[in-house]
Amino acid sequence: MEIKINNKIYEAKEGEGIFKVCKNNGIKIPTLCSSKEFQEGLCRICVVEINGKLMTSCNTKVAEGMEIITESENIDKARRINLELLWADHAGKCATCKKNRMCKLQSLAEEYKIENFHFIPRKGEITGQEELDLIRDNWTRVVVENENPCISRNSEFCVECRKCINVCPEKAFGFNHRGSDIVVGTPYEKVLDCSFCGECVRVCPTASLMDQNNYGEIVETLDDLKKFSVAVLDFGIEEKILEQIKIGISPEKDLNKLLINLGFEKIISLSEKDKDNEDEIIKQIKTDYAKQEKINPADIAVFFISSKIYKKKNKNEFLDYVLSEREVARLVRDKEKIKTGKIRL
Amino acid sequence: MKDIKIITEHWGKIDPLKIEDYLGVGGYEALGKFISKMKPEEVVEEIKKSGLCGRGGAGFSTGNKLESVANNPKAEKYFICNLEESEPGTYKDRLIVDNNPHLLLEGIIISALSIGAKRAYIYINGNFEKQKEILERAIEQAKEKKYWGENILGSEYNLEIEIFSGAGAYICGEETALINSIKGNRGEPKYRPPYPTQAGLFGCPTAVNNAETISNIPWIILQGGKEYAKIGAKNSPGTKLFILSGAVKNPGVYEAPTGITVKELIEEYAGGIQKGKEFWFAQIGGACGKLFLEKELDAKLNFSVGTGRDLSVQMGSGSILVVDKSVNIHDLLISWTDFFRRESCGKCVPCREGTFRLWEIAKRFRDNKISDRDKEAVKDILWTLNNTTFCPLGKFSATAFQDAVEKLKIWK
Ligand SMILES: Cc1cc2nc3c(=O)[nH]c(=O)nc-3n(C[C@H](O)[C@H](O)[C@H](O)COP(=O)(O)O)c2cc1C
Ligand code: SF4
Repeated sequence: MEIKINNKIYEAKEGEGIFKVCKNNGIKIPTLCSSKEFQEGLCRICVVEINGKLMTSCNTKVAEGMEIITESENIDKARRINLELLWADHAGKCATCKKNRMCKLQSLAEEYKIENFHFIPRKGEITGQEELDLIRDNWTRVVVENENPCISRNSEFCVECRKCINVCPEKAFGFNHRGSDIVVGTPYEKVLDCSFCGECVRVCPTASLMDQNNYGEIVETLDDLKKFSVAVLDFGIEEKILEQIKIGISPEKDLNKLLINLGFEKIISLSEKDKDNEDEIIKQIKTDYAKQEKINPADIAVFFISSKIYKKKNKNEFLDYVLSEREVARLVRDKEKIKTGKIRL
Repeated sequence: MKDIKIITEHWGKIDPLKIEDYLGVGGYEALGKFISKMKPEEVVEEIKKSGLCGRGGAGFSTGNKLESVANNPKAEKYFICNLEESEPGTYKDRLIVDNNPHLLLEGIIISALSIGAKRAYIYINGNFEKQKEILERAIEQAKEKKYWGENILGSEYNLEIEIFSGAGAYICGEETALINSIKGNRGEPKYRPPYPTQAGLFGCPTAVNNAETISNIPWIILQGGKEYAKIGAKNSPGTKLFILSGAVKNPGVYEAPTGITVKELIEEYAGGIQKGKEFWFAQIGGACGKLFLEKELDAKLNFSVGTGRDLSVQMGSGSILVVDKSVNIHDLLISWTDFFRRESCGKCVPCREGTFRLWEIAKRFRDNKISDRDKEAVKDILWTLNNTTFCPLGKFSATAFQDAVEKLKIWK
């Protein structure tokens, strides 16, 4: 069928969402909550105008003869107000945030120049006593949980986009409470206990769900000249890492260079056929390889770089750290920051 | 015409716990007439002729709704009676159960059979313990008389009736959230289309109707749709239960024809304003209702804002809160905003965050700490609530506040 977007005619298929049609035709619409698999229309940022009415483009389907406008004063106003409301509910700790410059909310807030002039932060650090008094009853429940071995959870950063809830194959998360008290959590707020496939961390747009690690120790190990750091790259991880750092972090396309720059001294890339014996290959580093190279195994630090974050709970004498593509990107980000001496946007 | 009573006719005169009492005043005759003389499509036709429209607030044509479910080729269909009634200041539906539960039950059975449903649900607010017991009793008595179950009154018709008790959330009165709740999901609205009439409960065509709407149906079957259409306003005929509260002499629930003016209701039904009190404004339709000043009280209460010259207002649930000048507006603002920030399902940004911010600002207003920045923020929040929320609840939450700013000029 034919539809009109910004006064130009486009071809669209029955049942397609407007957002998708726009995307396919290179028309950019911002969104926080929708993805290829789920379009729930929760963030209300992807609004467009259809016959003068604001509608969310992600979950509104095309119809014959539809006329859609994707940029207008009202659209911009809606996006700004809704982003500002979200922003005020957010922790607002970008400078020290683990996800700084890798955060969807932050980049949208920058794009729409959200500076929060209207509201008092609801979550996060408050300094002045007056502010503290005002905010006392405004605190929403914040869930911080670091007791599980793989995923670090802090709802202070959560924008309630529901991506984690939707993507989780085990239905580990849900919305607890309602209204302004809503919080994404586990049933009865129990410690997260799942197979830790890491999908939720992958889709989280902010720093609410993060890879569990001891970041300081990792940096120290990599910087330690006495330590021989070995990176074992899982099959397929290379593109994922480059994908992560592509926007706003580093233009570098040579992964080996990046890793060496981070402090790795040896890089082992697994191929597809190594899938079933990766544990064996990892074990050989501190045994056979150490013997052959005459390195004291105690001086070797083995990093498995993989999306399989459940491996974090299987660390042992042969495997010191498991890093996901996001954690590598974060290491790169912080290295770049030191190199250039400032945060580049 | 003014004295015509359809819903409240037997209130206080019969024992609601005894089916015999209801039978004594002609109860279940409409069901008998349907079973013995009418085809399901004739029932739907009669309801269409009556012009009956939904008493749950939106005023959608009941006949059209039933027809679209009836005409759906899918074999499995459901009928749901909406007895959630969480709108502040609204307590008409539960009074129907208190006073004449069998009238409602008869309406449910006829409506369900007319659309070809084999199963009907009564979705009741979890706080209505007493009404649930009354209904359970009525359902039991009706089963003994074979008014529902297998082979109703010896016919080929079968129907199961089940009461489903919600948890008492305002949003679960919204039909898609209600359906989610029966399915065991989180009580939050779903994107429409598809509408419940196309794909509702368990993916099947479903008609959701308000308890008061349904209670009109036995009368329509017995007296005919044409007779019903003669009552009240042309564009939304019938009688309506109005709930008057606040600074009136006799607060309570009154049945009156649609098209009546707010003034008439206050003066002639509720005994006027209490002595020593001075009228300020009336809120029509619950916490989500608009505010009306004295000069607007001649407006006729309707479901659709008419095109005619007459000033008319949408009555929503039918509640009328009369506020006098001694009322502290801060209390009201906080009560409204707190209600919506608690009852928002919390899934979409403008409603979850916006209702919270309005409440926060209302409290600062009370404490005399309101700033210009807050007033600007209120403008933005009301705008986004009106234009970008997922479901009508978000929009509802802006109505009273907006009128308070624009009509009552609270900021000055
Ligand atoms: C937030 C919200 C709350 C609602 N609450 C109720 C309610 O308590 N009872 C009700 O009958 N309808 C309620 N409705 C309307 C229902 O969605 C639906 O339109 C109605 O039950 C249809 O019945 P009717 O056509 O007989 O009015 C509500 C709607 C919204 C948006
Ligand atoms: S407007 Fe949004 S948050 Fe509010 S009740 Fe509807 S869906 Fe839920």
